[in-house]
Amino acid sequence: MSGQLILLVEDRPDDVELTLRAFGKSNVTNEIVIAWDGEEALDYLFATGSHSGRDPSLMPALVLLDLKLPKVDGLDVLRRIRDDERTRRLPVVVLTSSNEEIDVITSYDLGANSFVRKPVDFVQFIEAARQLGLYWLVLNEPPKIP
Amino acid sequence: MPATVLVLDDSLTVRMDLVEAFDAAGCHTIPCGTAAEAREALQSEKVDVIILDVLLPDADGVEFLREVRAMPSSAGAVVLMLSTEAQVRDRVRGMQTGADEYVGKPYVTGYVISRTQELLRARVAANATVPTVPTVPTVLIIDDSATFREALRSACEGAGYQVLVAQTGDEGLRIAASQRPAAIVVDGVLPDIDGGTVIRRLRLDAALRGTPCLLLTGSDVRGAELQALDAGADGFFRKEDDVAVVLARLAALLRVRAVGTSEDTRSLLGPKKILAVDDSLTYLNELAGLLRSEGYDVVMAHSGEEALELVAAQAVDCILLDLLMPGLGGDETCRRIKAVPLVRDVPLIMLTALEDSAAMIDALSAGADDYIQKSSDFEVLTARVRAQIRRKQFEDENRRIREELLSKEIETLAARAAAELAETRAALVDELERKNQELEAFSYSVSHDLRAPLRSIDGFSQALLEDYEGRLDDTASDYLRRVRAAAQRMGELIDDLLELSQVGRAELHRDLVNLSAVAESVAADLSGRVGDRHVKFVVQPGLEVHADSRLMRAVLENLLGNAWKFTSKVQSAVVEFGAEDRDGATVYFVRDNGSGFDMKYADKLFSPFQRLHSEAEFPGTGIGLATVHRIVDRHGGRVWASGAVGQGATVSFTISSSRTGDAA
Repeated sequence: MSGQLILLVEDRPDDVELTLRAFGKSNVTNEIVIAWDGEEALDYLFATGSHSGRDPSLMPALVLLDLKLPKVDGLDVLRRIRDDERTRRLPVVVLTSSNEEIDVITSYDLGANSFVRKPVDFVQFIEAARQLGLYWLVLNEPPKIP
Repeated sequence: MPATVLVLDDSLTVRMDLVEAFDAAGCHTIPCGTAAEAREALQSEKVDVIILDVLLPDADGVEFLREVRAMPSSAGAVVLMLSTEAQVRDRVRGMQTGADEYVGKPYVTGYVISRTQELLRARVAANATVPTVPTVPTVLIIDDSATFREALRSACEGAGYQVLVAQTGDEGLRIAASQRPAAIVVDGVLPDIDGGTVIRRLRLDAALRGTPCLLLTGSDVRGAELQALDAGADGFFRKEDDVAVVLARLAALLRVRAVGTSEDTRSLLGPKKILAVDDSLTYLNELAGLLRSEGYDVVMAHSGEEALELVAAQAVDCILLDLLMPGLGGDETCRRIKAVPLVRDVPLIMLTALEDSAAMIDALSAGADDYIQKSSDFEVLTARVRAQIRRKQFEDENRRIREELLSKEIETLAARAAAELAETRAALVDELERKNQELEAFSYSVSHDLRAPLRSIDGFSQALLEDYEGRLDDTASDYLRRVRAAAQRMGELIDDLLELSQVGRAELHRDLVNLSAVAESVAADLSGRVGDRHVKFVVQPGLEVHADSRLMRAVLENLLGNAWKFTSKVQSAVVEFGAEDRDGATVYFVRDNGSGFDMKYADKLFSPFQRLHSEAEFPGTGIGLATVHRIVDRHGGRVWASGAVGQGATVSFTISSSRTGDAA
């Protein structure tokens, strides 16, 4: 499973650092690619813009998506992912600060696979990262053709 | 469809006269000599008008009227009764039995026709299915010059109009009121009231103000157009103008008018009815004859008693009252008439043979409006009658104008108030909506942005503790743990505050909620938490309430959570959820045997951030009970707490079963 990569879409450097640490602590060793805003996330997935040199056939095993993002916000990114043939089956976990009802509902309506609120308590965060890694990268069986 | 008129009179002369007149007015007539004939006719035909003689060879007119009113073919018909004036009692009976009008014999044919038409029009206004009188446009020409009048008449008739003529302004107004011509041509200069005044008076009458008027002026009058328009005329022309021009103007005015509808209101200018009261039949007949020749409709009474009976049944426009009568005298009759609210405004002129200033003073102090000697010239009498009627008319017009102005003013004020109210309400709703949106946006932002830095504080403190474990002494590690505890507490505060604001904003969805099941589930959650607490939960089964299930869960989470928390220091903790009936209302309660509280702080419990324990003793944010309070409030219920220090606490609440409480 270590060959599979995770796309982390997150604009706060602190959160990026903590997320990487949490995955490290929970022994998730997959490569983690970071997109700092929604636009970059889409560029990466579709090999456009700053990621135009990338091989678009290589898709991440999991997208961790924050909702409050500069340029293109998380829900729009999710919408575009689900609208495109190439990414419609991609596992997307919304990983965000709030659990506002409207965010949860809209995320699921747009086809999010999970909704996880980042806990303030870092010990809990590590536990969340461990379970996410275990579930999505080990237990979950993705379709053969993504 | 022409109106059908049934004429029932045993006198062949009367029948022929009225049939001829109604036929000429375009009506369909059915002449009958006996009640039996009329009855038969009414079996087969629906009639719109019945002219009914009171004295019939085979029936009593009033009895027949009763019969007529009960028949479907004539129940809604206009009924005019005819009778000789000797029978005041019949008139009163007739009016009370449902006659629309009562005309004394000898009658004036034109008046019978015009009054019938007026009543029919009123019926039409009340009930659109009644046929109207045929409508060949009628033009009324008011001019004292016979030459010009006749020239204009023949021109108009040539153009297909029906023509009515009047020689004076008063006569013109009378005819206008009774016949409702489609247009009026009036000379500016007339022997009595001038043309401008005629038009002004027409404009004041609600029933006639829509009638187009052309004012005729002499060639020498300066500013004629201005004068004409000032009076309210729709147009004017000079007498030397070509008649063809006049006809063209008329046609244009009538075209415009054809679009509008005629209002139907009782005209102020209609034929005037005068009640003459005198014990001398000779004088009464003479007076009536003279007044009728002046165009008045005269009702006669032979005594004060009859007069009183009459005015109660029949509206009149002027009363002429003899001062000296056997039985009830003139002054006493006058006093009584003036005491009747609806009749007291009718002008009353006292008649007397006496040349006596004391009698005059008596009469006026009894309430008479004027006084005249019988020996006076008849001209003087009619002039006074005219003056009194005109005075009354002005009063009526003024009152009508005042009432109209007042009601318009009230309408305007009411409309303005309603508009202002609506505006204020709309502004308030807008404002509320805006505030709500602001609040939504605010709490959304709090929920997202305020927690992020806390994650950094907690996360990096933990990283320091882990990565630099060997290099940090105990104090440094302790400080970092305090930093983390504070950050986490802040996180809880934010969550609780958001919940409090959410329960205030969220829409209420009432459903049947099994509170017992919710309590069991919350208790299971609490028992499943980390820690070695053992709390005995006692939940009364089968408690159901009509409420918002999510909010009810929040209530029980808070209350049971508190009970769980405040029993942490007792040996065998027991938390109970149940309900009891108090004064017919269901009171739910959560009772514990924990640390309790001092009752003097009971009212502080439900305000946000009010805590009765130190953070070290029992952790908490002080927002939970405020949230409970808000939820119960929104359900139209009440919440209160009781307890004592060291003896546990009970929080009780009610939920209003009706859907009142929170309408939002």
